[in-house]
Amino acid sequence: MTNGWVDIKNADVVLIMGSNAAENHPCGFKWAIEAKKVRSAKLVNVDPRFTRTSAVSDVYAPIRPGTDIAFLNGIIRHALATGRFHEDYVKLHTNATYVISDKFGFNEGLFSGFDEATGQYDKSSWAYEADPKSQAYSVDPEMKNPRCVFQLLKKHVERYTPEMVERICGTPKEEFLKVADVVTSTGNAQRVGTIMYALGWTQHSTGVQMIRAAATMQLLLGNVGRPGGGVNALRGHSNIQGATDMAGTFEILPGYLATPRGELTNLQTYLTKVTPTTLNQQNWASMNYFSNYPKFMVSLLKAAYGKAATKENQWGYDWLPKTDGNYSWMYLFDDMYRGNSPGRAGGTEPGPEGFITFGMNPVGIGPNSSKMINALSKLKWMVVGENYEIETATFWKAPKEYGGPDSSQIQTEVFQLPCSGFAEKDGTFTNSARWLQWKWKAIDPPGQAKTDQEILARIFLAVRDLYRKEGGALPEPVLNMTWAYTNPVNPDLGEVLKEINGKALTDIKDPKDPTKVIRKAGEQLAGFGELQDDGSTASGNWLHTGVYTEAGNLAQRRNNADPTGLGMFHQWAFSWPANRRVMYNRASADKDGKAWDPTRPGIVWNGEKWVGDVPDIKPDSPPGQFGAFIMNAEGVGRLFSPSLADGPMAEHYEATEAAIENPLHAKVTSNPVSMGLLKKFKSDKDKLGSREDFPVVCTTYRLTEHYHYWTHHTAALNQLQPGFFIEIPEALAREKGIVNGGQARVTSARGSIQGVAMVTKRLRQLKIDGKQVWHIGFPLHWGYAGDPKHLGPLANFLTPTAMDPNTWTPEFKTFLVKLEKAEGKVA
Amino acid sequence: MSDASVPASAHPAAPGPSIMRLAVHREDVAVGDEIVRHRLLSRVIHWVVALFFMVALLTGMPIYSPVFGWMATLFGGLSVCRWLHAWSGIAFSVASAVMVLHWLSDMKLVPHDLKFNLVQYMQFSAAEDPEIGKYNPGQKLFFWTIPLVTLMVLLSGIPLWWPTKFGSTLRQVCIIVHDVGFIMWFVAIVGHVYLGTAAEPGTFRSMTRGTVTKAWARLHHPKWFRDVTGDRKE
Amino acid sequence: MGAIQGFEIRRSSASLRGSATQLRTLPVVAKYIDTSTCIGCKACEVACQEWNDLPVSQTEQVGTYQTMPSLQASYWNLIQFREVDYQGGVAWLMRKDQCMHCADPGCLAACPAPGAIVQYQNGIVDVDPEKCIGCGLCEPGCPFDVPRYSERTNKMAKCTLCVDRVEVGLEPACVKACPTGCLQFGDKDTLLAYGKHRVTALKEGGFAEAAVYDPPGVGGTSVITVLRHGDHPEWYGLPKDPTVPVAVSLWKRILHPLGFIAMGAALFGTLGHFMTVGPKKPKDTSTTSGGEV
Repeated sequence: MTNGWVDIKNADVVLIMGSNAAENHPCGFKWAIEAKKVRSAKLVNVDPRFTRTSAVSDVYAPIRPGTDIAFLNGIIRHALATGRFHEDYVKLHTNATYVISDKFGFNEGLFSGFDEATGQYDKSSWAYEADPKSQAYSVDPEMKNPRCVFQLLKKHVERYTPEMVERICGTPKEEFLKVADVVTSTGNAQRVGTIMYALGWTQHSTGVQMIRAAATMQLLLGNVGRPGGGVNALRGHSNIQGATDMAGTFEILPGYLATPRGELTNLQTYLTKVTPTTLNQQNWASMNYFSNYPKFMVSLLKAAYGKAATKENQWGYDWLPKTDGNYSWMYLFDDMYRGNSPGRAGGTEPGPEGFITFGMNPVGIGPNSSKMINALSKLKWMVVGENYEIETATFWKAPKEYGGPDSSQIQTEVFQLPCSGFAEKDGTFTNSARWLQWKWKAIDPPGQAKTDQEILARIFLAVRDLYRKEGGALPEPVLNMTWAYTNPVNPDLGEVLKEINGKALTDIKDPKDPTKVIRKAGEQLAGFGELQDDGSTASGNWLHTGVYTEAGNLAQRRNNADPTGLGMFHQWAFSWPANRRVMYNRASADKDGKAWDPTRPGIVWNGEKWVGDVPDIKPDSPPGQFGAFIMNAEGVGRLFSPSLADGPMAEHYEATEAAIENPLHAKVTSNPVSMGLLKKFKSDKDKLGSREDFPVVCTTYRLTEHYHYWTHHTAALNQLQPGFFIEIPEALAREKGIVNGGQARVTSARGSIQGVAMVTKRLRQLKIDGKQVWHIGFPLHWGYAGDPKHLGPLANFLTPTAMDPNTWTPEFKTFLVKLEKAEGKVA
Repeated sequence: MSDASVPASAHPAAPGPSIMRLAVHREDVAVGDEIVRHRLLSRVIHWVVALFFMVALLTGMPIYSPVFGWMATLFGGLSVCRWLHAWSGIAFSVASAVMVLHWLSDMKLVPHDLKFNLVQYMQFSAAEDPEIGKYNPGQKLFFWTIPLVTLMVLLSGIPLWWPTKFGSTLRQVCIIVHDVGFIMWFVAIVGHVYLGTAAEPGTFRSMTRGTVTKAWARLHHPKWFRDVTGDRKE
Repeated sequence: MGAIQGFEIRRSSASLRGSATQLRTLPVVAKYIDTSTCIGCKACEVACQEWNDLPVSQTEQVGTYQTMPSLQASYWNLIQFREVDYQGGVAWLMRKDQCMHCADPGCLAACPAPGAIVQYQNGIVDVDPEKCIGCGLCEPGCPFDVPRYSERTNKMAKCTLCVDRVEVGLEPACVKACPTGCLQFGDKDTLLAYGKHRVTALKEGGFAEAAVYDPPGVGGTSVITVLRHGDHPEWYGLPKDPTVPVAVSLWKRILHPLGFIAMGAALFGTLGHFMTVGPKKPKDTSTTSGGEV
């Protein structure tokens, strides 16, 4: 979230799209309700299904799954065409005025620089144009230059007329316009709108571009950085934000630093590659805060390797694992499935022979379950840390229809380690609002269950002992690893949090006055501003610095004083970065540092410094010195972003399994970069279906009653939602002879599942590009492990190996199936 | 019928046991001054019915109104009444069915019964219709009311017994029907007891000893008296 | 539980005389349900079960989001889900179903067991399982189809508005658990005023028929419900104009007095008959008539 949960109450319009916030975030959703009750805010919901969110929304519009970009670009076009956008904000805080290279172009669904052979873009033509004289960014303050971002965007979205939106999304024109009117009503200084999105956007082959479109729209409406605004990702798990912050995926280190690749053989090369530079050498347009990257990285290395990390050995850079390919989910499992066979998707090393999985359920959560199950059966060993005996731990017992080998043929040795649940250990949850909130253990883990940290510590210590005794190929990363916990076998999570926050290793002096010591050796750091690149500080995650200071564990704070009246609660827990509650909050003020809306000030300039929220700018830099978006090298928000893999502006592409030809450009129907990546997946399991064989669009989702694949082990929640079902629109059910409560079968190119039909009015019949395209859906909470009365098919048995090219997130939300009436009970 | 050849009572004390022994198996026989009106089986059936009736009545009335709450104490509380009432009701219904079958032949209505006038009868002044047989039309009416009202109360009682098996509307109707049935029963039984005891002395013993006096028989059931004793019509 | 509660009782089932001093008064409390902000999350269902120690029920997916078809003896709080055609689209209505705590409770009127159903001065209608005889007559007495009879325990059970919590100054468990604040608890007048405020907002938001459901036919209820479609309470599974069922009124108000009259008439009639007409005896009373032989 750019803003936070509580801040949603400050919105005038809440657009909920790509999210079923009411069902999947019921507690956070209270703030949307609060906005509605207190401010008479309009809740706008755009969703393929009429959900429990729709039920309490003021405006609902149906949409075909996977077509959100067309819808959002339609709103952007509407805003530009009607002048309902925040022009002053756009000129001040976005790159609308920036001129783009004359090599940039867009033709027939492809941006300039596309290489058909690799399926990737050469992004150099998307770059900003430098002023030939000053070498600074070339800008046109009047936004008249046809190559300025504003004009390029205008031209780009011109095709997304309400009629085109209806053709692509199936949303009747009037309903689309109603949404567009309400959303663009915030395109001014007086009103603010927010967006709540979740996996309904991320899990598409165009997922990142959907969010790009949303960000573009919000910047255009002047809604970013302001209380009540923002682009807010609702994180589905209680601590998934924390997991991501702490290197949840292979390509990032803690604090979103880049995992070094093998070719970056020394620290300097790495830092040069990853540290952004700005065209503005003068430093007046952008703080370019990421120029501090070396401080974050060196402090991280010092936290990892302690005294062993020295300037001479590049702070132990060589000991950091390097990647040689892509180890994201689908790549990893392709490697695992195909073992040593040539032409695998992921890295250059052979597929893994062992696998450790904690708090996950790979069989359930990955696309193409059959491939998951078969991949696990190729392993020599697997360690599962879990509270329950989950599908992954029992993959060798998977029902036959999943196509796994006979259990007698599986050599995988499975170890299940009983883990404590979240209430059985203390530690922090980092919520969507980026708040690190400490929670205390409620009860002891049952039986032999141990906390995750104890299990991991014991494994680590045992491995380190082996290295000590026997040596090995590269013992240093393990032998030099800092492990200074009071109880090394079961590290106290408070100590771990302290380590993440970081401390001074030697006295740190004030750069302005070297005689003054701002932080004494051994003290906890107060913020990432104190981090150094000379080895004098250690920090496990620069973003979290400030959570555990000399004042103690700030994640434990529970003071609900709210002097701003805007629900910022600065003394409640700790919000990264720097306890800031609204990111980019400089954009909440105009060029003079006054709030756009004085009733909802983010930060304001009082003549000496910025006051209000923790400023997202140098606190004493007067208005006009720095741009509001300090992490962007250019210092402004991007309506046009040259950094993504699949285009600088969002373009509508059909899903990988496309229900229709793209009405905008039939030759490039699906995301060309995603399609390029898919060429790497060549196993027999990677099948895509055609719209002729599988004419129905299908989507998957979660229910408020359940939590992922976990709670079908919980009787009280099974009671609330006892089993799997397939939601089918009434007219389609009639056509297929399916009755409510009867059985239906859904089949994709990957698999086929059966379940109880839920025939409903809540899925509308949508006309897409002149023809009838049906969409259905089902929730994903069930599997073959657990209470026999509450088993169900794995939803991802049907989903394809298809992904977003930026994040490699699977395309769970749109795929093609066929639907039939079925007899009898679920197999 | 009138083949009773038992000698008349020479010794008043002596015939007692013999008529009682006779009354075990036979009815409608005269011995001395007495006539056997109800043999033992009839009397047992009657009293079984009466017992179940009384239990059902006394367990039902405290449910009917807290005014009769004290009756529940006799059975150990209202919770006991709740199930005892249902079971005694069933038992009463079964017993009544047996009773109806048992008396079926005696209770056949004949054309002459239509001349019966209850109001006139209750004035006790007019002479008895000489054609009244073993049971007068009033008794027959009462008798035929039994299965009718029993059925009414039984059928309406079942949904009230099993709350989860029947719909709310039906149960509402049943409450009314059950209540109306109960009131009818109550009124009828008061009349029945009154006529069988205080109002017509000599009647009650027909359900205890099983016998009545010839005088009683002659008064209340002239035709039956004639049939049993062989007397001619006066 | 009734007997152990500290609240003064206003009315008690099947009692000849009130068990209240009628001197101690309490403000009438209410649970407020705003269906326009209810997200059907069922937190209230679980909270109810947890607080009241109710066992988990075995349910089955039959093609609905609703946990079970209707309330159970061991399930006192159920969100009812209904899909209604509305303005060319659909309205998905979710309403929390539980005891409405009528000011004029039909269950209490129908209950034959003294003190088994009581109404406290604050309007809460409670059941005392110790006194409940399991006759189930409260069920047809309820216009909202709420009380449930358990065949296993032979007792009736329903929502008590968490009277045990209310008594110590806490809100009912469902209200405590509600994440959106669509459930509120407090004194009824305040909540009615708040409800009217919400209704005004809803009307401005395009729901011209929005209303607070507080049916006068049962004297109002201590569960008041804000409905977007106030003109169609039946869309939410609420009766349009609920009253204590006619059968119960007929039974208690008419049949009972008539019954007593009939019973009295029968008894006094026979006595009168005996005194005026007297017994009918054979003229020649012999020594053997009546009495012992």
